[in-house]
Amino acid sequence: MMGSLDALSARQIATGVTRGDFSATEVAQASLDAIASRDGKTQAFLQVSEELALAAAARTDAARAAGERLGPLAGVPVAFKDNMNLVGTRTTCASRMLEPYESAYTATCVQRMLDAGATPLGKLNMDEFAFGSTTDSSAFHPTNNPWDLTRVPGGSSGGSAAAVTAGEVTLALGSDTGGSIRQPASLCGVVGMKPSYGVVSRYGVVAFGSSLDQVGPIGRRVEDVALAMNALTAGGRDRLDATSRDCTQDYLAHLEDPIEGRAVGVIPALLEAEGLAPEVRSAIERAAHKLADAGARIMEVDLPNMASSIAAYYVLASCEAFSNLARFDGVRYGYQEPGCATLAEQSSLSRAHGFGPEAKRRQMLGAYLLSSGVYERYYLAAQKVRTLITADYQRAFAQVDAILMPASPTVAWEHGAISDPAALYLADVYTISNNIAGNCGISVPVGLGTDSGMPIGAQLQGPTFADASLLTFARALERACDMEGVVAPAFVGKGGEL
Amino acid sequence: MRRLADVLEDWEAVIGLEVHTALTTLETKMLCGCRLSHDDEPNANVCPICLGMPGALPVPNEKAIESIVMAGLATNCEVMRRSMFYRKHYFYPDMAKNFQTTQGPVAFVMHGHLDLEVSGEGACERLGATVDKRPDGSYVAPIRILRIHMEEDAAKMNHLGGAEGRIGGASESLIDYNRCGTPLIELVTEPDLRTPEEARLFMEKLRQTFLALGISDCSMEKGSMRCDGNVSLRRRGDTHFGTKTELKNLNSFKSLHDALAYEICRQAEVLEEGGAVRQETRHWEPSRRRTVVMRVKETADDYRFFPDPDLAPFDLSDEFVERCRARMPELPDARRDRYMTTWGLRRLDAEKLVADPATASFFEAVAAQVEPSVMPTLVNVMVNLVPAFAALDEAQVASVSGLLAEDALTFAQAREVFELVDGTDADPVRVVDERGMRQSTDADALGAIVDEVLERCESQVQQYHDGNEKVVGFLVGQCMRASKGSGNPKMFNQLLVRRLEA
Repeated sequence: MMGSLDALSARQIATGVTRGDFSATEVAQASLDAIASRDGKTQAFLQVSEELALAAAARTDAARAAGERLGPLAGVPVAFKDNMNLVGTRTTCASRMLEPYESAYTATCVQRMLDAGATPLGKLNMDEFAFGSTTDSSAFHPTNNPWDLTRVPGGSSGGSAAAVTAGEVTLALGSDTGGSIRQPASLCGVVGMKPSYGVVSRYGVVAFGSSLDQVGPIGRRVEDVALAMNALTAGGRDRLDATSRDCTQDYLAHLEDPIEGRAVGVIPALLEAEGLAPEVRSAIERAAHKLADAGARIMEVDLPNMASSIAAYYVLASCEAFSNLARFDGVRYGYQEPGCATLAEQSSLSRAHGFGPEAKRRQMLGAYLLSSGVYERYYLAAQKVRTLITADYQRAFAQVDAILMPASPTVAWEHGAISDPAALYLADVYTISNNIAGNCGISVPVGLGTDSGMPIGAQLQGPTFADASLLTFARALERACDMEGVVAPAFVGKGGEL
Repeated sequence: MRRLADVLEDWEAVIGLEVHTALTTLETKMLCGCRLSHDDEPNANVCPICLGMPGALPVPNEKAIESIVMAGLATNCEVMRRSMFYRKHYFYPDMAKNFQTTQGPVAFVMHGHLDLEVSGEGACERLGATVDKRPDGSYVAPIRILRIHMEEDAAKMNHLGGAEGRIGGASESLIDYNRCGTPLIELVTEPDLRTPEEARLFMEKLRQTFLALGISDCSMEKGSMRCDGNVSLRRRGDTHFGTKTELKNLNSFKSLHDALAYEICRQAEVLEEGGAVRQETRHWEPSRRRTVVMRVKETADDYRFFPDPDLAPFDLSDEFVERCRARMPELPDARRDRYMTTWGLRRLDAEKLVADPATASFFEAVAAQVEPSVMPTLVNVMVNLVPAFAALDEAQVASVSGLLAEDALTFAQAREVFELVDGTDADPVRVVDERGMRQSTDADALGAIVDEVLERCESQVQQYHDGNEKVVGFLVGQCMRASKGSGNPKMFNQLLVRRLEA
């Protein structure tokens, strides 16, 4: 026995498999073992793809035996948010609407992880169609925060964050439309990165808000996340996504660069904001001090239009969601209402019974906002706000290399504690502007709350396509805090022995 | 109902056209890599993108954008440097995503015009004052083009078990997504057309232009070119527009013309009886020669247009536009003018030859092979004989034209020769010689036959001298019969007249 998967970084696993310290199959078995003993509590998974995992691991082992060069993620256990297509799995988006849908093709981001040698362990729970920040709106079951099972893991990529936090897998992919990677990473105490818009292909990821969606990795270490970024961007621009860019580079290369003399912005008004929990505020202030101790210059900056971001976001995202979800009508795939006499009846009842309440709320909102006469007042106004927010960021990033702020105003809350949708929308205030402007952001765990004992993440945001530089700051923060590689205490050593 | 010509005395028709053209000559669909073909098995050319599978994204076909830019340049449009794709939402299974990818307020190309040359009988439909007419009644009508935008075609639905393939009463509806995602360009004219004849000519000219560009097979029969017409009436001299109706199913030039003519007369009748024209969509029934109501538009449909976030705005560079311009072939108007100046063709003949680019190229290839003196005969053959045959080659047409020009064949015989050689590589000269079809132009031999005929046709000769010159035709026929068809009728005619006048 070599130890536990809990203790190994992605790079250590890939190196161990490549050297022959252990086989990819043994790693896959250890991950399956951890899932078997831990997922009953977290309920992070919607499907465990045991056959796919063992087959992929066997291929990796065979490739090694044949003397082939293994990928940088050789044998690393990875799982995917269930809005990402993977042939051999169902892609449900945690919705009744797609419950029976078997992926007809594999998403580019998933394929690139597999091409790097990763072992696919399955599909992870989420808010239905990624609408939410708790994962409670999954049509199948909620997911529990590994630090306290009575609490939410955040969302919408709550399954991704919980599975990594509980040590069920080493890496997971999530998607972030308004904070859906960074907020659950923060609430679970792991690293979650939303790359700049266009860095990672969206092809094969079920669209929510096409101009806002971005796929990114969640891991227990900045280094694991950087390794995943290498895999996700390998091969350059995806010709199947017209909005993707060629962002191939070595995201590990500058991780250990000093940040001495570089500028990090803080926004005082954000830290004064009503609704920001004192323990979160003090954690962010401590993080600023630690960056200063590492030599960074802390400067005050402002994003004056951030206050309008939630309103603009819920207009833009709902309009795009209405349009993107129009295809789910029960005609070609997915849930089809039985026994209908007419086409109109079939599509309206399939939609009425296939979608949950939040999915309906967003689509109805979008349908209203796009209707003629209304469109001009809301959609066009929101696009103007988008331009203003983007300009705010450009001004701020002319002064600083990164901006530090919370990812969530509070630590994880108990299931059902917030039932008003509008209150949930307001909690997205720190993450949303980043999607609107299309720049990059990452949440790094900086400690446990002094009141709650729950993990707190600090969010760093960087300029568009400065993703590698952002990772340098994230790594500097990680070095200064004691959360690197942490598995939620209750799960350490529960299965997953290698 | 009154006749069109009478109606147009009192009323001015205001007509606008919307013409959809499928870019059938492209290899792939508009937003995915699927093959463009309507002849394959149903649902053979589909992929996650054109089927609207979860997570699939569109990627625009750059060749389709070249095609639309060329269509714009050929119709004097401005190429818009920045345009976007929009989503147009409606729930129907022929559109897999439940929205159609189309364009918004700014299309790829906008603000063009085509000048129509209107002559002959059809020119009478347009009354003076609104246009400068030439002494012969012909005129040029400049027709403005509002825009040409790109959009994707829908899938084809087959409704089984119901009446006439309609969805009402059908027991099953089958969907063939092969057509789904075919790039279409939609041209919208300003309401500048005034007569059904102008509408027909516009459509013909557009078809010739697109054929020359090679961007579509332009088959109205197969539906790769489809036209809707909007028409309203106003009293002569009025400046405001009347209420318009929209006409569908205009799938031939004749349907387009006849449906507009019918609709103008119908609207005139409604208005003259004190009624009001309703804004509605009407369907042309060619068999019953009338339009019937399809649906009444009371409110505008709300398609919830918004810019497609999956497709970034297009900034067409000067370089791109110049590359398209460089690929532009000679357009029909320029080609027609060249035929008129180079070979002295009559305008009408030149127009007929340039209408189809394949015919024009064929004509030019034959023209390169014949003597200048044969050109008038060749044009006659190209316009009046060749269109009836499927597979004549250039050499065959050149050689038959040569035989005709030297009076070795009659026109009827030329047709017979074409029938014999069509689709083969046979040499017409050999066919003519083998069958003894070559006509004699030997004046002595033919003169002897003429003398013999005049001798036995005394009464006809007398009729001629009494002033009935038409009798010469009868005498030529007699000569032809006597020569067993081998004499040249023109020669016989000349010899007969010479002797009768002697």
